[in-house]
Amino acid sequence: MKKNKMIRTILIEALLIFVTIIILLPLFLAVTMSLKKPSEVFVYPPTIFPNSFYIQNYINAFNSINLGRLMLNSLIMSVVIMIGKTIFGILSGYAFSNFRFKGSSLLFALLFVTLFMPAELIMIVPLFQIMQSLHWVNTYWALTVPFLASATTTFLMRQHFMTIPKELEDAAKIDGAGPMRFLLEILIPLSKSTIGGVAVINFVYAWNLYLWPLVVTNSNEMATAQIGLKMLTNVESTSNWGVIMAGTLMVLAPTLILFFAVQKLFVRGIVTTGLKE
Amino acid sequence: MRKVFLFSVLTVLAVAIFAAPVTIQFWHAMGGTDRIQLLQNLANEFMQQNPDIKVDVQYTGSYTDTMTKMIAAVRAGNPPDLVMIYDIGTQMMIDSGVIIPIQNMIDKDPSFDINTLVPASRGYYTVGGKLYSMPFNSSNPVIFYNKTLFEKAGLDPNNPPNTFEEFIEYAKKLTVKDANGNTIQYGFTFGSGEPLAWFFEQFMAVQNALLLNNNNGRDGRATKAVFANEAGLRIFNFFNEMIQNGSAINAGPGWDNARQIFISQRAAMLITSTSDVNMMVKAAQSGNFSLGVMFLPHPSGVPYGGVIVGGASLWMVNTNNAQREEATWKFLKFLESTDAQIQWSTGTGYFPVNKNAIIKLLYEGYYAKNPPYLVTVLQLLMSNVTPATRGGATGAFPQIRTAVDTAFGKMFTKAMTPQQALQWAQEQANQAIANYNSMY
Amino acid sequence: MAKKIFPYLLLVPTFIIIAIFIYYPAFQTFKLSFYRMSPFGNRLFFVGFQNFWSLFTSGQYIQSALTTLIFVTVTVIGGLIISLLLALLLNERVPGIGIFRTLIFAPYAISPAVAGTLWAFLLSPVAGYVSYLFLILFKAQPQWLTTYPLALIAIMIATIWKNLGFNVIFFLAGLQSIPQSYYEAATIDGANSVHRLLRITIPLLSPITFYLIVMNVTFTAFSAFATIDVMTQGGPANTTSTLIYKLYQDGFVNFNTGFASAESVVLILIMAIFTYLYFKFGQKAVFYQ
Repeated sequence: MKKNKMIRTILIEALLIFVTIIILLPLFLAVTMSLKKPSEVFVYPPTIFPNSFYIQNYINAFNSINLGRLMLNSLIMSVVIMIGKTIFGILSGYAFSNFRFKGSSLLFALLFVTLFMPAELIMIVPLFQIMQSLHWVNTYWALTVPFLASATTTFLMRQHFMTIPKELEDAAKIDGAGPMRFLLEILIPLSKSTIGGVAVINFVYAWNLYLWPLVVTNSNEMATAQIGLKMLTNVESTSNWGVIMAGTLMVLAPTLILFFAVQKLFVRGIVTTGLKE
Repeated sequence: MRKVFLFSVLTVLAVAIFAAPVTIQFWHAMGGTDRIQLLQNLANEFMQQNPDIKVDVQYTGSYTDTMTKMIAAVRAGNPPDLVMIYDIGTQMMIDSGVIIPIQNMIDKDPSFDINTLVPASRGYYTVGGKLYSMPFNSSNPVIFYNKTLFEKAGLDPNNPPNTFEEFIEYAKKLTVKDANGNTIQYGFTFGSGEPLAWFFEQFMAVQNALLLNNNNGRDGRATKAVFANEAGLRIFNFFNEMIQNGSAINAGPGWDNARQIFISQRAAMLITSTSDVNMMVKAAQSGNFSLGVMFLPHPSGVPYGGVIVGGASLWMVNTNNAQREEATWKFLKFLESTDAQIQWSTGTGYFPVNKNAIIKLLYEGYYAKNPPYLVTVLQLLMSNVTPATRGGATGAFPQIRTAVDTAFGKMFTKAMTPQQALQWAQEQANQAIANYNSMY
Repeated sequence: MAKKIFPYLLLVPTFIIIAIFIYYPAFQTFKLSFYRMSPFGNRLFFVGFQNFWSLFTSGQYIQSALTTLIFVTVTVIGGLIISLLLALLLNERVPGIGIFRTLIFAPYAISPAVAGTLWAFLLSPVAGYVSYLFLILFKAQPQWLTTYPLALIAIMIATIWKNLGFNVIFFLAGLQSIPQSYYEAATIDGANSVHRLLRITIPLLSPITFYLIVMNVTFTAFSAFATIDVMTQGGPANTTSTLIYKLYQDGFVNFNTGFASAESVVLILIMAIFTYLYFKFGQKAVFYQ
């Protein structure tokens, strides 16, 4: 039995390694490019490993665009949006999943339809006009407030809360717990993995915003990391791809660190123990 | 008494206004850290000379991003003082109702000699006899070639092809196949998408043929596209022949893939922008091949016209603030000065738009030391300034580019014959022009 | 009384944000779809339904609609199947699983433009890694970015690849909420792993699958323009131009706001119909505990 388990683990590990390599190939290209000197980037046959581990690319990318400051701005923007979207999404998702109230279907439909609005494309100009009249241009307000709530998170939390057995709510009611206490003390702890997942997704969404921050900021003090990456790209001339990829990977790092922390919540069996007791 | 009081208040106010430093916003699209830094340095130098003026230099993304940001800012009533707009945005900017034609500033200021501007650049941004924007980062397409591969193919590296016919011959000879019949080196490569449409426009100008009626929209609003003719067909056939006989490779949309193919020596000739000359020279050095630069080829028997200026120019925005406008104009004059143009050109690869800068660089031996730069400048200066080489002006230009590129795609994939594709592109272009013009 | 208001209170923050920052701009868009407007907004003409009429009589728009249908169907179905299998694998408790999860999530975290650039380099003719590999292994030289249908396939692969992380996260989270006792009971009943997958896992994942289908359709239909712009620019000959890419072009390349507004209204309507049908008929297939 134990030996079987060992073999199974080894098989799974092998499969995981294989799948990960395939999926990471394009990113691997970014990594090798980031370590190549400009002269090594475009050679034939294409080389997999860099001849020189040219760390200078990272230093150049970091210093030439003041990446530290830009990433700080991105971090502020993304954390605020992540928290806002997640909290408001939990609240509204809870309203739609656990309550029957007048107009709930209509309100849900009204919210749902916003999923289909290509917001990043079509709303830039009217949204910018709102920012101008609020005197929010070139402030953190403009970078965050318009994105604090979304249908995506609400819809996800609704879907998730609906999978949680009704008996739990009934039991809580018998114990005299109000709806807010039920949410905070039972529902949220039971939903850690989904909430963690949606928080990461919201973070990534904000972190990768490009056109809106570009339109709404007017100074390097307010610019974000994605704008910085664009700064590294030469226009009408060959770019220094090593530096661009080094920048890309540095900008990628915070998201991966966040995800690594969150994925620890994905542990099988939490719900079961919650249910049985 | 009251009058005296009023007068003194006004005087104090006036002094306060004129003494206070004025801040102007300058938005540009010059991606690449060297270029961003270079522009900032130029602005710093200007601010040192003019302590009462502060220039906020802001990178605003690609050309289209910058246009988007500009549109949002104009519609919200808060545009910058000076903005860099790409070549094909010229008519849109003229129609925007928010700009000050540079001509107005020049007419008021005898200290600026308009004749120092390179004729081709000046011609592109002149519409209806009026210079609308200040040429700044001007470029053309040019053909870079790999002299080392020329030698390997037994071709004289110092005698590159001149005509379409020779070019096709050379491309064939420069194509190398492996034992299985797969091509491991192509004669020629180019980026499709927007670049390809731009090259089409250039090859029209090379044949001194118009793209649009009303002299390319220069003597009045263009109402029709007129490129579906002999000249247009020669270009379509030129590209198609090399694609179908396998001596040219379509690198896919944009500039980067074609550069990758050329720099890794998988193609012997590349058509791209002159502003790439800096990076190409470096790439050739580190890639151990000898770089040549040649003019665009032309169909034999057709009189040579020239090339069209591409890149971008600087637009002054009407802010209804005389002081800021004055400061902006001063900054513009600085950017056009011989020294600033030399810094800009040698640091980037764009050619100088000030004749004196070219002369000075020549005397200093810069072009003797850097022959590729000389070719790019010569191609420009040897172009005749005609309505054809001044390029088209219409607000529907982006759609026309898409249509032309799509037509090339239809031809390359054999969905249409060259003739059909060309005709189709012209119909699409006419529709887009009619749409745009219906608003003015 | 307080009890009755409670659910509404929960909705207040979300609806305030959405009303100001989505409904109001959306209303502007709706209005502009009946106008022809100059790029800088200084000319504005009411044209009634003319923008819509031009759309539906344009062969290119119809072609884009078909391309979108194929693109969305293949990417969503393909993407979800691959993601589910990956999630099952990543749900195993083996050493280093956190690293594997993070690495597989990584493609989702990079920006769409960079993702497109990487793929374009990989697939670049002659000089790219994939082209080189094909030459060595299969003695063939497929031109991924410039021929049909390879260009569309390349875009599909890149899009599926980009969205894997998103799907895997929520499948993983969904797998956590399946009570272990169900599996234990099934094992006692002698069900093998395939049976357990089909009879327990998939039905119990249906609420999250329902969510993921909707989100994937919106992603691929509404967000995949940046990757297309870098990889193919809608070419060759318009064959990879989806509805959202056309909208992007009309709005942000051609600066034809009225037309782009009409296109977004059409997109919203198509999606609204799709959703209505999905909720009406698809909801039945969703299994809530």
